[in-house]
Amino acid sequence: MDLRVSNYFNRSNKVNINVNNKKIEAYEGECLAVVLFVNNIKKLRLSPKKKQSRGMFCLMGSCQECVVVINDKKVISCNVFIKDGMKIKVGDFDK
Amino acid sequence: MINNRKYDVIVIGAGPSGVSSAINCAKKGLKVLIVDLNSNSGGQIYRAPPKTYKSISKKLEESEIQKKFSNEIKKFKIETAFNHTVWQVSPGFKVNAFNETSTIQWQTKSLIIATGTYEKIIPFEGWTTPGVIGLAACTVMLKAHHFIPSKKIVLAGNGPLLMLVAYYIIQFGGKIDAIVDTSSKIDWIRSTLSLITNPKNFKDGIKWIFKIFFNRVPIYSTSSIEKAVEVDRGIKVTIKNFMTGKTKNIVSETVAIGHGLIPSTDITRLLRAEHIYNEQKGGWIAKVDRFLRSSVKGVYLAGDGAGISGALAASDKGLLASSALLYDEKIISEKEFNQYTHKILKKLDKFEVFAIAISKLNSIPKNLIENIDNDTVLCRCEDVTKKEILKAVDQGAKDINQIKSWTRLGMGPCQGRTCQYATSKVVAEYLNYEIKDLGYLTGRSPIRPVPLDRVLGDFDYEKITKVEAAPL
Repeated sequence: MDLRVSNYFNRSNKVNINVNNKKIEAYEGECLAVVLFVNNIKKLRLSPKKKQSRGMFCLMGSCQECVVVINDKKVISCNVFIKDGMKIKVGDFDK
Repeated sequence: MINNRKYDVIVIGAGPSGVSSAINCAKKGLKVLIVDLNSNSGGQIYRAPPKTYKSISKKLEESEIQKKFSNEIKKFKIETAFNHTVWQVSPGFKVNAFNETSTIQWQTKSLIIATGTYEKIIPFEGWTTPGVIGLAACTVMLKAHHFIPSKKIVLAGNGPLLMLVAYYIIQFGGKIDAIVDTSSKIDWIRSTLSLITNPKNFKDGIKWIFKIFFNRVPIYSTSSIEKAVEVDRGIKVTIKNFMTGKTKNIVSETVAIGHGLIPSTDITRLLRAEHIYNEQKGGWIAKVDRFLRSSVKGVYLAGDGAGISGALAASDKGLLASSALLYDEKIISEKEFNQYTHKILKKLDKFEVFAIAISKLNSIPKNLIENIDNDTVLCRCEDVTKKEILKAVDQGAKDINQIKSWTRLGMGPCQGRTCQYATSKVVAEYLNYEIKDLGYLTGRSPIRPVPLDRVLGDFDYEKITKVEAAPL
């Protein structure tokens, strides 16, 4: 089941992104945190002390939980929009 | 990069109150800049879809309002800095922000803070499990990004957002396994008399409840989520009715939870403005006068930042705050100011009845705090558990800033936005204190993590002026 709602808006071009070397289809300009979530990629990083998996939480730039690594840089994924060929690392990226 | 552009007014936040105050100032000829983290105006409530989405025939009311904001910003020649995250504001006023490539500093004579709110979420065992998200996050996913979070979902917490999210999920083809509400059905019925004072929102509410009723969504009243654990097919939640003590397990894919909103005080705390505690208005809020002037000269609070009163009141609060600014700067006369604000204040009084009713539906029952397990993480950023907090309290930390120094709570990337409210509740309950006795976290910059590459900017190594090493 595609979790996209298309009653009100048409998406842009279909593109591919790369998450931990796995290909994921998405549409250009969609929010990365949301695309990862609906593709069941929910474990984005590990917490600092307990090393528990953490994922997207507030989706408005407040909680900072949805950090992933793009081009070797840590960014909050709720404020990143899909571009073709984007390479994303999730999980234990502090190793 | 220091750009040092000077403005008469900088408005931080481009939601309904930020936009209305910016327009009000620009109409009187002031040089106005409006800054927002998002890529367009609208705030969270009228949040625009990503720029690549192309609208088709069916219109959403929210999108129409957002479009009106964009047009007016253009019409009144208001400068915009979208995609900019403010990370520091210092007296004078200097506003520091960063975007995707660099950092920037602006200067301004007056500041309108319209940073709105973020979600209040009371922790429970397993609330850090990936797949447990905020109800507000769910709203953004549905209304701005046009996705349903998963095929099946459990909605929990309290207040009108529960019903709004449920409505949109059903409308968009998702299935709700349960609505878990801390309020009772009687609480909802009791609130109707006050809610009806705002016919627009009341009508929406009735529409949401009908949809939920006709879809036979199981509603668990006077209940909360006791526990969430990751299982094969998703998340197993344990729902507990705190009147009867009965529990029930449900396996779903996503859990969305929220207990109302917290006014954002990041910037007013940085500026050392006075704050007061007001549970009904959302917790710690900047102290303001009737016209929304803060205790710091030249700083005004628009929208929900100085107390929750909702989206419909927000634009009026923006008009009020900006009128106070225009009067203080001698741009409008006392007569004009009084006439104008008199009308707005009357309107706002009406919204207040509605706001109080909503805040009652969003009140935090005592058992929700007492039931938090000792091993539950309260501070997500630094992994600090309730047990560790209470240990610090036993050892003598009797103030939220001492608790911070003792345990690292609130020192992480979110700077206490997620944990301060619930932790204060837990500690106040434990010590039998009032929350105001615990104080609030002293504002410290950066209020959002600043990526180092933005500070450094783009440069060629060869072009750096090298300084000779000091002689040994």
